[in-house]
Amino acid sequence: MQHPIETEAGFVGQFHDGLGWYVYPTHRFKSITLQAFWVNDMDPATVSFGALLPHILKRGTVSWPNFTAIHQQLESLYGATFRADVGKIGDKQLISVSLEIIHGQYLPGKPDTLKAGLEFLDEVINRPRLNIDGVFEREYVTQEKELLTRQIHALINDKGQYALYRLIETMAKGRSFGLRKLGRVEDLAKVTPEALYGYYQTVHRNSPFVLIAVGDMDPDVIASYVTGNWNGSRRELVKIQPYTPLNRDHEVIEKQPVQQGKVNLGYSTRRTFASADYPALMMYAGVLGGFAHSKLFVNVREKESLAYYAYARLDAALALMIIGAGIEFDDYPAVKRIIGEQLEAMRQGDIDDQEMRFTEEAFRNDILSEEDVPTQLIGRQMEKLVLGGGLSGEALIRALESVTVREIQRVAEDITLDTIYFLTTDHSATGGGEAQHE
Amino acid sequence: MNEMTNEVIEETLYLNQLSSGLTVAVARRPGFKKVFATFATHYGSIDNTFVIPGTEEPVTVPDGIAHFLEHKMFEKEGGGDVFNDFAALGASSNAYTDYTSTTFLFSSIERAAESLEILLDFVQRPYFTEANVDKEKGIIEQEIRMYLDMPLDRLHSNLMGALYQKHPVRLDIAGSVESIRTITPELLYQCYQTFYHPSNMVVLVVGDVDPESIWRQVERNQDRKGFALQPPISRVFPSEPSAVRVPRVEQKMPVSAPLFLMGYKDTQISGSGEELLRREIAIGLMWQMLLGRGSPLYAELYQSGLINDRFHARYSGGTTFGVSTLGGETLDPCRLESWLVERLPVQELSREDLARLKKKEMGEMIGLFQSPEDLAYAFNNMFFRGIDLLKYIDVLSSITLDEIQQVRDTQLQEQSRAVSLILPVVSNGSKED
Repeated sequence: MQHPIETEAGFVGQFHDGLGWYVYPTHRFKSITLQAFWVNDMDPATVSFGALLPHILKRGTVSWPNFTAIHQQLESLYGATFRADVGKIGDKQLISVSLEIIHGQYLPGKPDTLKAGLEFLDEVINRPRLNIDGVFEREYVTQEKELLTRQIHALINDKGQYALYRLIETMAKGRSFGLRKLGRVEDLAKVTPEALYGYYQTVHRNSPFVLIAVGDMDPDVIASYVTGNWNGSRRELVKIQPYTPLNRDHEVIEKQPVQQGKVNLGYSTRRTFASADYPALMMYAGVLGGFAHSKLFVNVREKESLAYYAYARLDAALALMIIGAGIEFDDYPAVKRIIGEQLEAMRQGDIDDQEMRFTEEAFRNDILSEEDVPTQLIGRQMEKLVLGGGLSGEALIRALESVTVREIQRVAEDITLDTIYFLTTDHSATGGGEAQHE
Repeated sequence: MNEMTNEVIEETLYLNQLSSGLTVAVARRPGFKKVFATFATHYGSIDNTFVIPGTEEPVTVPDGIAHFLEHKMFEKEGGGDVFNDFAALGASSNAYTDYTSTTFLFSSIERAAESLEILLDFVQRPYFTEANVDKEKGIIEQEIRMYLDMPLDRLHSNLMGALYQKHPVRLDIAGSVESIRTITPELLYQCYQTFYHPSNMVVLVVGDVDPESIWRQVERNQDRKGFALQPPISRVFPSEPSAVRVPRVEQKMPVSAPLFLMGYKDTQISGSGEELLRREIAIGLMWQMLLGRGSPLYAELYQSGLINDRFHARYSGGTTFGVSTLGGETLDPCRLESWLVERLPVQELSREDLARLKKKEMGEMIGLFQSPEDLAYAFNNMFFRGIDLLKYIDVLSSITLDEIQQVRDTQLQEQSRAVSLILPVVSNGSKED
């Protein structure tokens, strides 16, 4: 089955029967960027496997059996940037492997770095280092489980991210989109090399697979690699389940030894990227809190000096809006009140021509600027594929420009506060002081 | 106009110095949709003692004032702020302050010329009042508190405070909640007058633009303002002993595992231009050979579970200070430290590794030119130290293994070494649903 609507402007390519490729041919960049994705549902039973797999793939292959060999190879490829990672869109977990490498025409001796890069990625994905039992190296699995466990615990080090995650988790009430892309500590502990290798084989054979490339290249090179080397009858992409509200004005307060409070508010919007009036929702969030001219920044920061940052942003897959700010603990009631007032102003259509114009222009700047960054171009194509359509590029800019205040008011009526999460002090922080040991 | 070209990576920078002393630089990126521009002054958090033009004696200003001044430049006479002027053009604007410079920037899709005009004008039109200075104190206090909750920020900041006894690089860039409370409009004007003269500044424009027309536009803008020439700025830095203030500093925070950062203070730093560049590249290559991803030591540390894949080792510096920092998250800071101290001075440095890492550096230099933000940061940073960015490739290729050996001997001095640790505090976190 073809999905022609899901190809970004500037990209050529296709996706059907769970297999696809997209290329953005351009002279704009001196690099070639390749990124391969496997897409899976976030499922408590497999999410920890999915999180661990990229870490194992980056430990060793048949030709480059260990960490040092892989990295020396990348250094020889003029400092190619290699990532094996896990991402999350809505209730999907994305396992991805990427390489950014300088195009050979800009290098001494003009080496074919597209070929070298494609070979490298192919090796990492298809020929991982196995032990004599034919499964992943036991040592690698043990080490990477330990490191990933520590990474999960380390979420608490970044208070902004921590607060955001706690909000989403609270809202999800156990549904799969509330799972972390890094998986769960208790499940990781149980992963064996045999089970992980079995998971890899299943994903390799069945999970939707797509390779996306940006740079000065012939798209046929990528097309023939994908169609010639990958199983062409795979699982289809399953539509993301948007959020249906489970709470109303639910408040969660957590205390830690911190210097600054973090308030995060989660709202249901009832619209995803694929909704016809999504551009009106984008304008809503932009006028409210997307930019330095927006209501939240102006009222919370500039007028009241209550925060250094205050923003609103959308989750296009889950039909959510998040508002966040870093504030003085005692200002919590005042900040809640001001945020409430700004939302009410949006509902009343209290939006002037300047706010509309600035927001349209700012989106235009953001959308076109993405086209100067290869990884952002790839992200845009991938989002479109996974979300199943929606406008982007020039078409999105035009749609945003035609949104009226009435249309913004209409989407405002559907926006409901679901959950408030507040991270505040337990009054034991040391004030940033240090203890010295001489 | 002066064209600086590097044949190997086929990149050119177009430079021009105007009569006011302002330098204008352009990097062309054919096909790019966005124009990115910076207007930077060679004035950062360490420049806290200096002679105000027209006076004799040096003055010392409150910590964090350069960063405070950066915030206040966005204020306009008669109300309103500069963000709105950029927003009207669909451009976005921002600014940042580091130890040695303050940078104002915009990115714009089609209205680059108008945006450039706003950039030049707002940075050259200060407007400070009691009321607008007081208002900013609340915002910056929240910014400082945000940093105080960021463990990696504290880790680095505490290390600088341990390494340095006298040099102002030991202080936080944003200052402290207490120090910024003492800032007044008069102090801001004094700093502005001293450091925001065009001769202390550089404009860089990156995008699909014509260098000649950029230069003419900036020249017209500057001619209208009629800047008088200003003699070179007299900055005062205390002499820094080679010994560290304290060898070890610890702080407890709500983190999941200990964070470790070891630093070596560079006690040999001097000069500017190519000499400085050469040293910096050599020290950078040394750290990659010793602890880069492709090094045997890195693999050993990783496999023994002492580090994770965010462990780093790098050098950074200005003209009056320099530090090597190495570290990351670890469960056993003591073992990691003793292992590093034991192995770093004796690990063999190989010619083959050096050759391979030079290729890596070269590829990264080519990549730098397609990221306008990174290019601007690198260019401004080098410009203020008298370094020609495009000399990088030539200097890189001429560095020898002997030089790397030599810098290792001078950098790894025990008396110039300190360790900063962030240790977990067990949170009695409570939840009220």
